[in-house]
Amino acid sequence: MQYFLTLERFLRFLKQNPQYGPPMIAGSAGVLLVLVFVGYWFHKYWYLLLKSLTRNLLRTGLSALAVFVLAIVVTLVWTILVVLDVVMTEKAKDFKAIVTERWQVPSRMPIAYAPSLKEGAASKPGDLKPDDNMSWQFYGGTLDPEKRTWENTLFFFAMEADKIIPMMDDLENLNPVYVKRLMENKQGAILGRERLKRLNKGIGDRFTVVSMSHKGIDLEFEIVGEFPAGRYDSSAVMNGNYLVDAMDAYPTTHNGAKHPMADKSLGLVWFKVPDSDAFSKVAEQIMSSSLYTSPAVKVETASSGIASFLEPYKDLLWGLKWLLVPALLVTMALIVANAISISVRERRTEMAVLKVIGFTPGRILGLVLGEAFLVGGASGLLSAAVLYGAIHVGMGGFPFQIAFFPKFDIYVDSLWWGFLFGTITSLAGSIVPAWSARTIKVSEVFAKVA
Amino acid sequence: MAAEAIVRVSEVHKFFRRGSEQIDVLNGLNLGVATGEFLGLMGPSGSGKTTLLNLIAGLDTPSQGDIWVGGERVSRMTEGQLARWRTRHIGFIFQFYHLLPVLTAYENVELPLLLLPMTAAQRKQQVMTALELVGLSDRLKHRPGQLSGGQQQRVGIARAIVTDPTLIVADEPTGDLDARSAEEILHLMALLQKDLKKTIIMVTHDPRAAKRAQRILHLEKGKLVTDGAPSDAVLSHP
Amino acid sequence: MHSNLAISPRLIMILGAGLAVVVIAFVIGKVPISYNIRNLTIRWKTTILTGLAFTLVVSLLTVMLAFVNGMAAMTEGSGHPENVIVLSDGATDESWSTLLKTDLSDVDRVKGILIDAEDRPLCSQEVYIIASQTKKPGPGQPERRRFVQVRGIDDPSIAAQVHGIDLLPGGSWFSEAGVEGLPKADGKEQETAVQTVIGEGVARELGKDLHKERLQPGDVFELGPKKWKVTGVMKSSGSTFGSEVWAKRSYVSLLYGKETISTISLRTGGAETAKAVATELTNNFKKANLQAQTETEYYAKLTATNKQFLFGALFVTVIMAFGGIFGVMNTMFAAISQRTKDIGVLRILGFGRRQVLVSFLLETMLIAFTGGVLGCALGSLAHGVTASSIISGGQGGFGKTVILRLVVDANTLAVGMMLTLVMGVAGGLLPALSAMRLRPLESLR
Repeated sequence: MQYFLTLERFLRFLKQNPQYGPPMIAGSAGVLLVLVFVGYWFHKYWYLLLKSLTRNLLRTGLSALAVFVLAIVVTLVWTILVVLDVVMTEKAKDFKAIVTERWQVPSRMPIAYAPSLKEGAASKPGDLKPDDNMSWQFYGGTLDPEKRTWENTLFFFAMEADKIIPMMDDLENLNPVYVKRLMENKQGAILGRERLKRLNKGIGDRFTVVSMSHKGIDLEFEIVGEFPAGRYDSSAVMNGNYLVDAMDAYPTTHNGAKHPMADKSLGLVWFKVPDSDAFSKVAEQIMSSSLYTSPAVKVETASSGIASFLEPYKDLLWGLKWLLVPALLVTMALIVANAISISVRERRTEMAVLKVIGFTPGRILGLVLGEAFLVGGASGLLSAAVLYGAIHVGMGGFPFQIAFFPKFDIYVDSLWWGFLFGTITSLAGSIVPAWSARTIKVSEVFAKVA
Repeated sequence: MAAEAIVRVSEVHKFFRRGSEQIDVLNGLNLGVATGEFLGLMGPSGSGKTTLLNLIAGLDTPSQGDIWVGGERVSRMTEGQLARWRTRHIGFIFQFYHLLPVLTAYENVELPLLLLPMTAAQRKQQVMTALELVGLSDRLKHRPGQLSGGQQQRVGIARAIVTDPTLIVADEPTGDLDARSAEEILHLMALLQKDLKKTIIMVTHDPRAAKRAQRILHLEKGKLVTDGAPSDAVLSHP
Repeated sequence: MHSNLAISPRLIMILGAGLAVVVIAFVIGKVPISYNIRNLTIRWKTTILTGLAFTLVVSLLTVMLAFVNGMAAMTEGSGHPENVIVLSDGATDESWSTLLKTDLSDVDRVKGILIDAEDRPLCSQEVYIIASQTKKPGPGQPERRRFVQVRGIDDPSIAAQVHGIDLLPGGSWFSEAGVEGLPKADGKEQETAVQTVIGEGVARELGKDLHKERLQPGDVFELGPKKWKVTGVMKSSGSTFGSEVWAKRSYVSLLYGKETISTISLRTGGAETAKAVATELTNNFKKANLQAQTETEYYAKLTATNKQFLFGALFVTVIMAFGGIFGVMNTMFAAISQRTKDIGVLRILGFGRRQVLVSFLLETMLIAFTGGVLGCALGSLAHGVTASSIISGGQGGFGKTVILRLVVDANTLAVGMMLTLVMGVAGGLLPALSAMRLRPLESLR
């Protein structure tokens, strides 16, 4: 299913490699020219097709509308399925791995694990160190302990500020100034726009969090940045060392007693490796190390880790993929089949006349299929374009929480999905009536007319 | 006219608008039809004969003037009143029969009776009477597609008479039939007039059909030109 | 618990009103219904194609609502109104709750808590863990993990009384020791297994690893660093406990390094008493900051995911319904254009405009009704099918993975039929209005 994001990946590749831009534009222009030439070569047929479709605008419009609305749902559902499939698919290279507590969730490891885990537990010559790394702790609390609500509750990812852009997905558009501020201000926090809205705060505001996850460690923050619109709209990031320092200082104000979370504060460690062999090597280093026994840890690829969290949704996703989407596509095909059947039935005499004039059965078949292709393709493409504009451009994604995916964005590939779904279902639906049109017997038609 | 006029048309004008243009179809027409009379309407295309027929049958209303049928001023009725009036008082025979293709002969004839307060048994009696009259009681369960043109038109006639209407109007009833079938239909219509004393107004181009009428009216450009018995002179009027 | 046979009064009213309108139309319509039925059968291909669209939309709605019903039944079935659940202050669910045992000694002395036949307060202190377990991968499949809810309890008989749980025949609760030795394999040291009782849903899920329909007493599985032996299966279908693994609290705490208590569950004399006990513990318990609520309140908060699914289901249904409406509209417009002469004749014969409207609307309703009934029948096949899902409050926390049964009840079928009738009316009204407006003379030309 990852091929369904080909265009998105291609555009990202172009963005990162602008030197390929001009040749790509030239190539695209060439393809477009060829299409225009082909279109002009067959313009007589396009003319016939359009005339047929416009003979009854009401009915053509209704068929197109039906395909349009159904394609909207298909595109939305397909977006969810494709995105989740991509994140759960193992990559061949440049992938990320995570280290978490082995036997339970939430993962709670001692912070003391972090330094060596980030190095991949490399301890002897020949051991491999990851290309990059990041650690996560989780800190949560409320801004109003007297009246705790969803609006004033906040959960932070506590991490190394300089690792945000290189290690986290989909943050290429994060303003580096915000990251710099976070690095310079230990009390800094970067929040997503929906989180800011819920807290009724903006960049520059300060607030105190009364912790629920780390009782007794209440921290003060200053908002230094905002995440770009998209999957981090509800997220909040803080400096990991701010929490670590606060935990370290706890005994000094609590008669030397360690904080109950002192040995449980580390959530997970990410690391980047070049390929699967490197991953296996680093994983083996960590799993065989005697440093991580209480609690034990496990190493898995990011896709595998994400897949575990999506495990409870497997039946739901199965239902979406194998029940809902096929049902939608079949409904689209049925509606087009119905419309084209009616149209062919009404035009039997007309088609008989075309045959008398000299249209071959194949051409008649092509005409009917062409009508379905136009209606389905145009409706599918238009619906995808409307979705793309409304959701990607207008909303930055549609909210539908699955595990830790709070929203899903519509990718530019949806334009060709919409076209594809529309044309395939329309062609499938119109095969039978088109064949029936192809096999019209002229003598029978004119006998009835007489 | 010796017999009382069942239909009276008084200074009737009818025009249609086509864009900004006004097309006068009937111009100050006056006409009377006696009870039990068989009247033929003839004229070239566009003369207004079908329009006149439609006005008398209550399918349309005149732009000016009045029409009385059976003592009721139909030209002033509302659409709903006309619909109810037509059920009881008008039997319409079409050139192309216009039977409902999915209904049997029995059901087609029964249709108008469904609008009247009758029991199923009463309806059955009247339907059977009408079908026997037209000689199709052995084709009750046949659909129009299983009947010949002449048989379909006889079903159409049965439907037209089943409610025992005041007036029977026929628009080119033999226009779609071969000579033999046409003769049968015309014979049937003559029987209706003679034996059942039905008043019939028929629009026709067919001289053979016109000969069956007691009186022929020629229309031209919305006006009556000749009015008389169907003599050769009348029938040959262009 | 969910009743499969009861339809909510509001739905009955709406459905009844809709059907009454249809019946009245049927009665007052003078055009014989055989005319409509015969036209539908003559154009059987078009009728089937249009009806199938209705069938698909309604069957999908039925399945989606069955899923939502199953989730709702799960949360409703899990909470007893007379039970109180106590978490640490600020915890959104059991996985985030930590209570020190030393602070809880007086909890079971709060007035209102029931005593059992052996004079023990019905108070169960439990530790709740979400364990990570490796699933046996299929051929060519990557290794995957599942989350298994583990509940450590001190005394199974107390816990059973508090939660109202019985075991399926053939099983027993775990012993006081909570462990037992496993048969010694040749050349290996004797292993011990943690004794456990498991819910019906998780018995089926874990059974897949052993290629069994479900685990039975005596079966052994791996979870965490230990082997676990099933001593009994809880009769727990329809509650979240069906997705849980219970064992002796001491072993669960040891295995997962959680010395604190996650939850205290209390059984009181009734719903009002439960509310009073919850208020008392939240406001007046001095030894620790507690967050106490009735179980019904607690589980009601775990419906955030269900509400989202319901919203999603309704959104998809509405969109699909529009598709179906446009489809049937198309069919009826075509039918009317082919039958303008019929309409003209009916009008000439004296049938009024409204009767023509009713006739064509009824024709659409026939397609809709038949398609809808088939859709409900098809969707009903989902009843009883099991599926995994997650319930959560949506405010952080991992939620609970549950194995639920899809529930197709009378309400679901009523909603399906309502949808089909609405689609039928919406799709058929415009074409029927256009038929009504045809002028008799023009339609015959």
